[in-house]
Parts: sequence; C-alpha cells; structure tokens
Amino acid sequence: MGASEEKVGMIRTVHAVLGALMLSLAAMMPAAAQEKTGLKPGFVLQAGTARIVLMRPSIRVGAQSTGGMYEPNADWTDQSRDNIGSALAKAQGGLGNSVRSYVEPVGGDPMKTAEYHALFETVATSVIEYQFFKGNRLPTKKRKDQFEWGLGPDVRKLGGLENADYALFITTEDHFGSTGRKVLQVFAALARVPITAGVHKGFAGLVDLRTGELVWLNADMQMGGDVRDADGADKRVRQLLEGFPGKPLDVVPAVAVPITPAQAAVTPPAH
Amino acid sequence: MRKLMLALLLGLATGAAGESGAIAGDKKPLPLPTYGQAYAPTTVDERGIWMLADEDERRLQDSPSRIKDPELNAYVRNVLCRTVGEDRCKSVRIYIQQVPFFNASMSPNGTMTVWSGLLLRVRNEAELGSILGHEFGHFELRHQLRSFRNRRTGSDIMAWASVLVRNSGDIRYNAWGQIYAFDRAQERDADLIGFQYLAGSQYPSSAAADVWDHAMLESDASAVGRRGSARHKYVAGIFATHPTDLARATYLRTASIEAADVKPAIVDRHRAAMAKWLPIFLNDQIKLNDFGGSEYVIGCLAEGGWSGALLFARGELYRERGNPRDLVSAAQFYQEAIAKGDAPPEAYRGLGLSLLRSQQIAEGQAALATYLRLKPDAADAALLSTLVSR
Amino acid sequence: MSTRHLAALGALTALLLAQPVSAGNTLVRAGQRVAVAKSAMTVMPGTEWNKLGARPGRNSETWTQDGEALNDLTFYGGIEVGRPLFREVDKKNRPLPKVSATMLVTDIPVLLENSYRVALDTSSFGIDVIEPARFAGNDGVRFTYHFSKQNETLQRRGEARGAVIGGKLYMITYEAPGLYYYDRSAAAFRSVADSVKL
Repeated sequence: MGASEEKVGMIRTVHAVLGALMLSLAAMMPAAAQEKTGLKPGFVLQAGTARIVLMRPSIRVGAQSTGGMYEPNADWTDQSRDNIGSALAKAQGGLGNSVRSYVEPVGGDPMKTAEYHALFETVATSVIEYQFFKGNRLPTKKRKDQFEWGLGPDVRKLGGLENADYALFITTEDHFGSTGRKVLQVFAALARVPITAGVHKGFAGLVDLRTGELVWLNADMQMGGDVRDADGADKRVRQLLEGFPGKPLDVVPAVAVPITPAQAAVTPPAH
Repeated sequence: MRKLMLALLLGLATGAAGESGAIAGDKKPLPLPTYGQAYAPTTVDERGIWMLADEDERRLQDSPSRIKDPELNAYVRNVLCRTVGEDRCKSVRIYIQQVPFFNASMSPNGTMTVWSGLLLRVRNEAELGSILGHEFGHFELRHQLRSFRNRRTGSDIMAWASVLVRNSGDIRYNAWGQIYAFDRAQERDADLIGFQYLAGSQYPSSAAADVWDHAMLESDASAVGRRGSARHKYVAGIFATHPTDLARATYLRTASIEAADVKPAIVDRHRAAMAKWLPIFLNDQIKLNDFGGSEYVIGCLAEGGWSGALLFARGELYRERGNPRDLVSAAQFYQEAIAKGDAPPEAYRGLGLSLLRSQQIAEGQAALATYLRLKPDAADAALLSTLVSR
Repeated sequence: MSTRHLAALGALTALLLAQPVSAGNTLVRAGQRVAVAKSAMTVMPGTEWNKLGARPGRNSETWTQDGEALNDLTFYGGIEVGRPLFREVDKKNRPLPKVSATMLVTDIPVLLENSYRVALDTSSFGIDVIEPARFAGNDGVRFTYHFSKQNETLQRRGEARGAVIGGKLYMITYEAPGLYYYDRSAAAFRSVADSVKL
C-alpha cells in the first residue's frame, strides 16, 4: 500500500541503474581480504570452564528495494528462523562449554534485552567499519594487538544472566537484492562488473559479563549461506561460530545430543 | 530445440502469473472467499522458545513510536470490524505507530500497522475503513506468500535462460515484467476486495476512490510547494509494484458508481476520536518541511470550520517556512486563533516569535510575555525570557 | 542491452575507478587547540579523539572515539543563510530546513529537530532541556534531546550548544546511545564544548 513511484520507460530505469552502479561501485571499494575476527588480547577460554548464555538470536530477512531501503519479508524471516534455530541447536553442544539459551525472566524487561542486542549489533558494525576494514580504521583503534570494545558493565544486571559468565550474541541480517538491484546485477554482469546485490550480515560475539567487554567477535557483512534453506543456514551458523574461543578443535562427535531451545529453557544448566 | 525450450519457459512464466484478478472494467466482481482462519499459530514445542514471539511483532509492541492509547486503538479496531465484519476482525492485531506518512500494512500472521499520517488524512470512518479493508484483503488472499513463490520461479527461469539461449536479454526483461505484474495485480485485487467489504458494510463504497483523489491532490500541492510539477500516469512503469493513484482512483470510482450505494460516511465520530491527537499529528506533519502538502492537509481538516487549533497549526506551518511574507501571515493566523478563544497558549508564543522576526520588537515581546504568564513552566521559558528582556 | 548502453556503463566505470579515495580518519591529540569545521571556530580537547574523513556537510566535521554510531561529536562552523545543516540526500522529495536570515535563538533547536526528523525518517524526536547559554562569547542556547531512527531499537541521547553569530549558525552536537555510551564520553564532550572559541 502507499503512494506509488513509477519508473516510466526503460531509459529512466537505465539512468537509475547507472546511478545505482555508481553508488554500488563506491561501496565495493572494501578490499576482498578483510579481517573478520577480533579477540581481546590475552583472552583465553578453557574448555569446560565457563557458563555461557546464548541470547535470543536476532534474525532479519527481507528484500532490498530499488532505493536501497530494507523491506522485511515475513515468510523469508519465518523460514530462516526455523533453519537457523535448528542449526544453532546442533552447534550449541559443540562449543566446548556449557551453553544454555537465554530465558526472559518473569517480570523482566524485554525492551532492555532488545536494546542490549541492538547495542551489540551497533558495536559489531563499528568494529567492522573502524577496525576490521583496514582502509577506514580509526587511529585510536589501529594500535597493535588492540581490541577494546564493550557493552558496559551494566549488561550483567539484565535479568536472567545470573549464574552465567559470558553472553553469546548472534545476529544475522539478509537483504536480498530486489528489483533495481537485480537489474543492476544483470546489466553489471553483462559489462563484467562484479556487484553484490544485497547485504548478508552475520555477527557472533562473546561478552564477559563481569566487565561488559566484548572478548571475541566474528563479524562480516557478506556471509555465505542462503539462510532461507536448511543447508544455507547450516553453512551460515558454521561461519558464525568459526574460531569460537574454547571450542574443541575436532568436529562435534558422531552421536551428539544437541540442546534444543525448548529443553534448554526447561532444564537448569548442569555445571 | 532451443525454440521449444524458450516457449516452455515463457509458458511457465505466464502460467504462474495467470491467476491474477479482475481486469479493469470486468463486470464480474472478485468473489469474497469464505472465511476460514488464515493463520494458525504454532506451538512452543514446534518452534522453540525463541521462535515463539515473532520478532517483528515484538519490535512493534515495544517500539517507541507505538501509540498505545486504548481509546484510539479501540476506535481503529471498531472501524475495521464494521468494515470487514466481526469474524474477520478477530484475527487481526492492530498497531498504531506515530509516523507522519500515509501508510498501513499487513503481515501474513495477522499484524496490521497503521501510521498516524494516515489517521490524520482520512476524513471520515468510511475512508479509514477502505484502507483497513484493503490491507485485510492482502491478508485474506495470503498475498505475500504468492508473491514470494513467483519471484523464485522467475529467477529460476532467468538462470535457465542464460544457459540455453545465447542472447537472453529479451527473456530477462519479460521474466522480470511478469514478476512485478503479479504484485500489481495483487494490489489491485486487494483494492477490489477492500471495495467489496465497503460495499457490504455500513460505509459508502465511494470512500475508496475518495482516498486516492485526496492523495493525488496532496501530492500535487506538495510538488507545487517544492516548485515541481504535478504528474499522474495511468500506467505504472514495468517495475512498479503498485498501480498508480490515478489508476486506483479511476477503477474504484467506476466500481462505486455501479454499486450506487449511498450511506453516511460518519464524519463526527471520526473527528471526536481524532480531537486530542490532532495537535500532535499536525506537529509531526509540519515538521516534515513539506509546505504544500501540509497546507493541503490542514485545509482539508478545516472543511468543518477553522478552529483555534487549526489556525494555530497554520501559523506554525507558515512560521516554519519563515519567509518574510510567511511571518506576517503567521502572525495573522495566530491572532485569529487567539480571537477564536480555543487556541492553545502556544499561540502567543508563535505570535511573539513571528513578530520578533518581522522586526516588530515591542509587540513581539508583549506576546511572549503573555505566553510566559500563561505557562511559566514552559520548557523554553528561560530562553524566551532572554528574548523578552532584550 | 544495446552497445550504446554498454559503452556508457564502461565509461562510467572507468571514471569511477579513477576517483581518488576519500581522506582517511585522522588522530586529534589531547591538549592542543585546533580549528574545526573549516572555520574560525577552535576547540581544545582534553582527551584523544578521531576525526572522520567523511564530513556531514561543507562547514562541518565529526569526531568520534569508537565510531559515530557509538559516539558522535559534530561541529558546525558557520552554516550560512539558505543552507541546510548537513548534506541533503534527496533535495527534491525530502528537502531539509535551512538557516534563515531572521532566525532567533529559539529556532536553533527547531532547525536541528526538523532536520533530523526528515533525514532520519523519524518522529521519535524530543527535546528535553532548553536553556540560554554562552557560546564562544555570544548569547546562545544549550539543549538536550533524545531520538531514535525509524525501526531502530537503540535510543540515542544528545546535547547541543550553539549560537547565531554574524548571521551564521555555529553549533556543537554530541550524540550517543543512551545505553552506556552517552555517559562514557559525556565528560570528554563537555571539555571540548567548554573550550570553544571564535
């Protein structure tokens, strides 16, 4: 619904495409080789020593309109939530430490929880832009072996994090290129210019609940795996948790008993 | 062999889109589907504890822009129920958001959002009902799902086309055209279903076309205000997902003339429900920096007469644009508002500031002093005092 | 696609790739007075900051400690009559309000508020405290505000100080998420803002 914007004639479309190409090329500048993981210097997590709470993952899937605006798509999001949820449940058991899913306590503050998650995403994005992306680093974040980021010590006051040492935040956001972007891709492909239509963000971060410091972060704006199907979601989750501190080097044993979210909610963590 | 494959592919494309609804001028109305529950909620066990609360809906519930006022929410719900019937309206959860644009939307799980800009612009319950009915139509016809499936088919066709045919430029064009014709047809279907609801309700079906007429007039006014020119195309461009305002106004007007249902549009109850929100929504509208559009909206609201609140709003609008002549007009509007007797005390503030900016210092200071007497605890009282004692 | 279109695309691509990369982010040292926003306005920061290579507009510049979404200290150095606070993204459909020749000190918070409402597509903007204040030796205003962008959960807080001096608008704004970050750099902002000279 809403007032419509017409594009009359192919010529105008081509002009729009050329305009979009300009913007896309400018955005393309980030080098292919890019750091994607940050670790607080000296941080080590021994297997079997910590209690980790997996915060409710933030999963958004939608289309990217011609103007670059994000249009959430409920069907895609529902599918992706199912797929990522299953993939995470499988992976949770193989992280080397006790991982339980976050449960909002009765009388808790869901808005606060949501805000902390939003803050995590903002910090992760800032890490990518101003520390990971070498061409755009902030001078104060450029110093050797530095990784100083956090959510503030008050994060531990969020209800439901008692008896936990770390909180694991996960975000995925996928904007599948729509009309204009796809047209752009078509024309660009013919001109042999590589263009990525859309955004495929993924962040996985570990927060030390004593200090609020972000001790580990995997963050990437162009992740693999189409989250709308089960295999793609598996791939995405694997990439997200790659290099998780304390994770055993070997792959999860053949007969793994994954902690499903429903089970995790009911049974208290055993440690 | 290649020609055969081409024909097959195009056949697939057209077949998928073939179920589009009524064509303009088609006498057969789209039949209202028998209502079965369109959305079945899933259980906790099935989807896991963190899937239970739909994240978008949770964000809607907690959004800082959400208007939770029970009276306003009840008013909007009542209009929806009167339009589509009690059975249908039970499955909808309505969220009103303070966003100053004309829009409403519906998701496949029964969440309807209505923006305050829409509430500001509809002139009566029937017009509000026409938009709510349109949105409900998308929900009932499960539109979003169909759109997704069609897109998937389209991209598969394109992938194949590039493999089989050397110069596949034309096929790409057609395949994309098909995908978006589907969406436009869905919008038209929703318009026509919305129309059906109105025709079957206590509201006049002419309200549906009225909404689009007003939208076009406002758009013209806005463009003129920005020194552009107004333009309305009947045929949407190939990539547009909605029929144009003009197209909608036309086919809905035609349908309402045929239906010939004359019923009251219910203006008074609408105005009563909106009364306490008008100053807030008008403030948001004026701050959009769209002089022409805002003038038009305020003018429409004044069809029932210029109240102190509306004259005050007009003063704020002219003062906001702030050209020398505007400041003189603004002072006039504020004075008229004050004379009406039902203007907010802020009218003295606006008057004072307009006069000061027009170099009428003594008069401006006097008006500000009056405001400070009426509202000594105003947020900017200290700042205004510095302007008075200069 | 015709060869004409292809040629145009090729030419455009070549042109774009020949553009110089924008100036990077630079360090602002503590304890040294510096000119900001390409103007006569100077400040002396008490702590380190980073100056972003990208500017919001012609006569403005932004400093940050952790990235502008986490802390944003922006200087507006003499915005002239008829100009907007920062660059317009869509001049035709979403024009920003402009500095006016007859602007009063009460119009400064309004200019900021309305510019943000249009640019950030939000009506979740509120001004909390407004009070008269001296700014670079002139009568001006100090105000605090809160806002969030449309569809964003993060609530942001801001403080601004400014004045119209010689017919131009000078202003310093500081914004950060209300959660943890606003308080974290607030003192550093205040020391910068208190030191402003023209």
